[in-house]
Amino acid sequence: MKKLVIAFSLVIAGACINKVNAQCDTIANICYKHITAQFISDGQLYRALLLNSEETAEFHSTFFGETTYRIAACSGTGDGNLVFNIYDQERNLLFTNKKQKNAPYWDFKVKSTLEVVIEGQLDANRNPGSGCAVILIGFKQK
Amino acid sequence: MNIKKNLTNRKFITPVIFGLLSAIALTSCGGGKKDENGKDEIVETADTVKTSVLNIGGQLFSVPSPIQTALLIQKSGITYDKAVLSASNKVNTLSTDFARSLNLGIYGADLGYVSLYNQTQDALGYLAAVKQLADKLGISAAFDASTMERIQKNVTNKDSMMVLVGIAYRGSDNYLKNNQRTDLSSLILTGGWLESMHFSVSAYKTKPNDDIKWRIAEQKLALNSLISILSGNQTKEVSDLVAQMKDLSKIYEGITFTYKYEAPTDDSLKKVTYINSRTEVTVTDEQIVKISEKVKEIRDKILNSSQS
Repeated sequence: MKKLVIAFSLVIAGACINKVNAQCDTIANICYKHITAQFISDGQLYRALLLNSEETAEFHSTFFGETTYRIAACSGTGDGNLVFNIYDQERNLLFTNKKQKNAPYWDFKVKSTLEVVIEGQLDANRNPGSGCAVILIGFKQK
Repeated sequence: MNIKKNLTNRKFITPVIFGLLSAIALTSCGGGKKDENGKDEIVETADTVKTSVLNIGGQLFSVPSPIQTALLIQKSGITYDKAVLSASNKVNTLSTDFARSLNLGIYGADLGYVSLYNQTQDALGYLAAVKQLADKLGISAAFDASTMERIQKNVTNKDSMMVLVGIAYRGSDNYLKNNQRTDLSSLILTGGWLESMHFSVSAYKTKPNDDIKWRIAEQKLALNSLISILSGNQTKEVSDLVAQMKDLSKIYEGITFTYKYEAPTDDSLKKVTYINSRTEVTVTDEQIVKISEKVKEIRDKILNSSQS
């Protein structure tokens, strides 16, 4: 009986993971279109399941000098569901797409190398529930 | 008797439990509801969480693309040097998943490097090596067939190659995360990063210049990111690799960065923000020599220990 419950729980967990993965894959496929051919992908896909609009997903990155970066941020099947913010190492806000009508992508021309924190958050006004957040990075030399 | 009774009960109970658990499962996984924006909604299962920070993909930091380093090297006027690359014909000598994963990252970086210099024949060799290694790791599905076909067709077009190699590795990163194989994806990232460090230190030896010197120094965060990512894997070979990378990190501790914030400027029409802040790096030639020696030591160990 105990084994049965454990086995079933594993099946359920697997089904849930598959469902979340499938949802994230769909969103990623939509998001890829924002990293257009003039940008080279950094070869990674950053994603997180956010349970509500109060949760924030973040990761640290280095923006190298003399480079133009494109950040694409997506959630759901439409554009503008994810708010993304970029901070420097002193926590100065360098950019928020909130001020740009939740633009799904934005370019950054970087003069000098700096370490940044990129945050993603579901927009409470557009999506009060949960969702998969996907962030992509592309770059090109100046 | 007892046994029969138990069996009878189990026959009855099993569908009931399955039914109940299925109901729970449907609730837990969500029924694929769409909200008014057409967004898939996943029904919450956890307690409501106050503002919290998650790590994307279980990963703390991003690791720069090896192609980015190769681009800087080419821009610095360094000519193509096949001698800095790993031999693409040793796939069959790699006997462990540890060695195969690291080399998959190394070959990806090499593929980017040869493509950048329009070395078609060498690119085909590395492309074949990538495919073979992915097969041997049992992750051939990680490299989307149509992307691999596009790479093959565009092998003479350097710009397309750069973009397609990036797409192929991003796809494999996603595949491995979906399949809970972050152990492999972290080693692939590490292999690619180590190879790009090897490109940089070799280029600096050939033609020293400040851009490459600074780029080597600026890998401090990436190195610490990789150490964090790899530290989740407790196998002996990975622990040994982490120990070596920690030694490398100690050399980096002596490098200093002075950051000066300057307000960025936005161009909303062009969807561009100009990041105006400045960072000054203080790194000595002696530190670069030490980094070069350590990178060589780690890379050599990977290449030698990986052969049976």
